[in-house]
Amino acid sequence: MNTESGPLFIVAGDLRGLLADAAPGKRRLVAAGPGATVSFALCDTFDGEIALTGRLLLCCDGRLDLIGPDGCEASQPGMPPGFLPEMPGGAVTDALSGIVSPLRRVLELGSGQLLHQRFALLDDEEKTRARCDLTVLEPDSDRAVTLVRLEPLRGYRRDCDRLVSHLRGIVGAAPLGARATAARLFPDAAGYDPKPAVPFAPDESVFKATGDVIAAHLPVARANEPGILADLDSEFLHDYRVALRKIRSVLSLFWGVYTPKETEKLKARFAALMAETGRLRDLDVYLIERDHYLRMVPEGLRPGLDLLFDGFARDRAAAHRRLTRHLRSAGYGKEMDRLSRLFAKPGKHLAKGSEADRPVRDYARALIWARYRKVRKIAASIDATTPDERVHALRIQCKKLRYLMEFFAPLYGEKPMKRLIRSLKILQENLGAFNDSVVQQEALENVLSDRAGKQGAQQLEIARSLGALLTVLHQRQTAERARVMATFAAFDVPATRAGFRALFAAEGGR
Amino acid sequence: MKIIACYSNKGGVGKTATAVNLAHALAARGQRVLLCDLDPQGASGFYFRVKPSKKLKDARFFQDVARFTAAIRASDFDRLDILPANMSFRDFDVFLSRMKNRRSRLKQALASVGGDYDVIVLDCPPNISTLSENVFRAADAVLVPVIPTTLSERSFDQLLAFFRDHGLPRKKILALFSMAQGAKRLHGETMQRMRAAQGKRFLDVVLPFSTEIEKMGQHRAPVATFARSRALAEAYDRLAQEVLARL
Repeated sequence: MNTESGPLFIVAGDLRGLLADAAPGKRRLVAAGPGATVSFALCDTFDGEIALTGRLLLCCDGRLDLIGPDGCEASQPGMPPGFLPEMPGGAVTDALSGIVSPLRRVLELGSGQLLHQRFALLDDEEKTRARCDLTVLEPDSDRAVTLVRLEPLRGYRRDCDRLVSHLRGIVGAAPLGARATAARLFPDAAGYDPKPAVPFAPDESVFKATGDVIAAHLPVARANEPGILADLDSEFLHDYRVALRKIRSVLSLFWGVYTPKETEKLKARFAALMAETGRLRDLDVYLIERDHYLRMVPEGLRPGLDLLFDGFARDRAAAHRRLTRHLRSAGYGKEMDRLSRLFAKPGKHLAKGSEADRPVRDYARALIWARYRKVRKIAASIDATTPDERVHALRIQCKKLRYLMEFFAPLYGEKPMKRLIRSLKILQENLGAFNDSVVQQEALENVLSDRAGKQGAQQLEIARSLGALLTVLHQRQTAERARVMATFAAFDVPATRAGFRALFAAEGGR
Repeated sequence: MKIIACYSNKGGVGKTATAVNLAHALAARGQRVLLCDLDPQGASGFYFRVKPSKKLKDARFFQDVARFTAAIRASDFDRLDILPANMSFRDFDVFLSRMKNRRSRLKQALASVGGDYDVIVLDCPPNISTLSENVFRAADAVLVPVIPTTLSERSFDQLLAFFRDHGLPRKKILALFSMAQGAKRLHGETMQRMRAAQGKRFLDVVLPFSTEIEKMGQHRAPVATFARSRALAEAYDRLAQEVLARL
């Protein structure tokens, strides 16, 4: 009615002191009513899924408040959340369901004091012309931020606008976004970025660019270690592996940066790090897919699968203990430290290969163009009768192409690159689904053969259920396989071809 | 949406104070209220510190919905808005009929700015001869403060006669005793006599005489926000309850 929902902006520091008796124009700004102080906790996933959408999730006074650009968007009673599917129903849970992955645990990033104070903008007759609501979040006095929410009053829009520019004038600095706010409040817990931007100068050497990419991804892997050890959710290990896999693909895709001997040595060291994590990740994937698998088989066969998955859960606990021992070992710590030092000053420690001094833009263009042509060549050879091996080869080439494009995206401008990556992604989703069903069948067949020697009614039940599941997975594989030619045709349209050519073909390129 | 016209054909009976404090009490009870200041001698806008808008004196004002909605001002109290205009009664007829018509552009314009009100309180001017009977027709209730004196009794009878003569439903009239002094024998007797004659027209609540009403001019705020004695504020709250029950 007389208060419309007003804009919210966030500034660094405690604004209350600056506001008291400030005087924009002929108006007076005065504190309205007593202030209040409670304790608060800021919650988000480790990778900041909530902040990425411009929102903050606050837990205070036994209540969860989801704060968006327009103020409090949703509120519900409750404690710091956890996994979304386990949260009690409510407006916040509903709002988060489109934002937070069900695999991610919503964590308490940190806590502190929340101070709340309203201010009123009065005219010469003491009439309230606008209100503003200040919420100061204060982990400690150095890192405070103030959430300013303006409440325009009907008929006094201009006063509100004037107040906004006055406040911005007081603060001076630009308002903070949700991510910057979280990072200012709790820099240790909220700074994680799984895809660190690695800027290149077009004429810098491939050697420097490669070192920079690897040096940027090592800390990403390391940042996930505490979450893996504490077993907070499965995505810590996943991100850890993705970071290491990216480093490995840089080493194999960027040929000639280091000497072949050096490259082989590095590849072996990163492969060894990855190898320790494979078993736990496989089991995580099974368990994540548990409900999905159960839905795929007829109800009568589900108890057999449940038995199997209970076994996986036990195996997972053991695998986690083994990985924990590995990550805590002195050898692991030393190896990671050594690798970090190596890539902190690659020029000092690593032997340069034949391509090391080429300018990165020129090098990247040639790599991407060659890889793109390879993708098209393989795809052109695929028809309904082509053996599955070719489809796998296509998938791997697409994956390599995607990595190259993502690594070098900063060189080519966000927009055209994003468009090309998006069309590649659609093709990759089809190929990925095909591959997943194949890999899952192989893995489950292995489970089956591992259990072949075992006796008993339970084993029979498990085997029957697995048989049903394998049938469904095989049907899925066939369906995805049948789509490959059509999805490639959709990728290989003139506009996309022209896009690749424009960005990556050499002068007068073929 | 209900329209309550606060009206008296006799001056100095506490009409504006009733409109102001009733509007405030209704909003405090959760109703979304628009108080329209229609009395050039009244001061409901003044009591809410809302400055009159010059633009509103434009004759073509009501042909322009956007400008009407732009004239509404928020009070300092939740759910209570003020229309501080002094408008002519010809315009006012149009205003009322548009407010009653769900499909009118005025209603839609109000709804679009979050101003779909539950109750509209009109602080009407005291002159019966210029008062359009359409206002009485459009209103859901005509709230009439009556000081329990012989003179007021006569004025009230004149109002009833006006309703009868113009074929207006008299059940719309909600009379209430205002500025009543329990210690005065005359007041007590008048109230008794009028209730006996017009029982159905009178609300149960009686607004006591209080110096707090005069202090509204100093404080420029509804009684409930500053009065030390709660009696008057409670009477206005009971008035709000009774009016809501009758609507």
